[in-house]
Amino acid sequence: MAKLKVIAACGSGMGSSQIIKMKLEKAFKKLNVDAEIYHTNVGDAKSQANNYDVVFCSESLVGTFTGVKATVIGLKNLLSEKEMTEKIQEKIIDKK
Amino acid sequence: MFKELVEKKRYSFHEGFNDWRDAVRAACQPLLDDGTITPIYPDEIIKKVEELGPYIVIAPNICIPHAQEGVGVNDTAMCFMKTEKPVHFDPNDPEKDARIFVVLASTNNNIHLENLSALSETLSDEAIVAKVLEAKTPEDLLKVEE
Repeated sequence: MAKLKVIAACGSGMGSSQIIKMKLEKAFKKLNVDAEIYHTNVGDAKSQANNYDVVFCSESLVGTFTGVKATVIGLKNLLSEKEMTEKIQEKIIDKK
Repeated sequence: MFKELVEKKRYSFHEGFNDWRDAVRAACQPLLDDGTITPIYPDEIIKKVEELGPYIVIAPNICIPHAQEGVGVNDTAMCFMKTEKPVHFDPNDPEKDARIFVVLASTNNNIHLENLSALSETLSDEAIVAKVLEAKTPEDLLKVEE
């Protein structure tokens, strides 16, 4: 699998998105997925989304990404490695 | 993480708040008192949540009020607050209720990243979260990580 290009997004780009990034790095490593993760705010993420494969954000922000080509994955619990791992498996790995 | 928060007096305990905006302001109060942030910062946090929804509630019971770097922030810090009663961010979604608040402020990205990493590490541990929910005093907080 080619290197996966991922955006982690949150309202400000400095809190939740960085937590998502930290958690994703661990989750991808465990699942043996080679991924490059960029974190930013939702506005920037939306304008750049078409250059990326996947966008991760808090579930309450999913609506912001209507119309983008990238797979948008909303997370209920940003601290749950279990939720992240399951969603990566279901929406990224199983889709390949 | 809690040792430093207690030492720097960056914590508060409250019964509850009817309006999440008041909860965000109260959570920020110790940082306003010690000059880490200015009143613009809580305003910015509230504005973003009104615009985008409660994205600062990152997990059940856990809220991390924060806004963009550089607006109303003089230093890098975290500040803790706990409420006895859940604060409702979305009247239709109990999963967006919060009782543990950790305000994030940043001017230095390296320290901020260390803070975030400690925060996410600590609050990913369900046993620790359970103890934090029980805490009523700074002394209780110090015992959480023992």
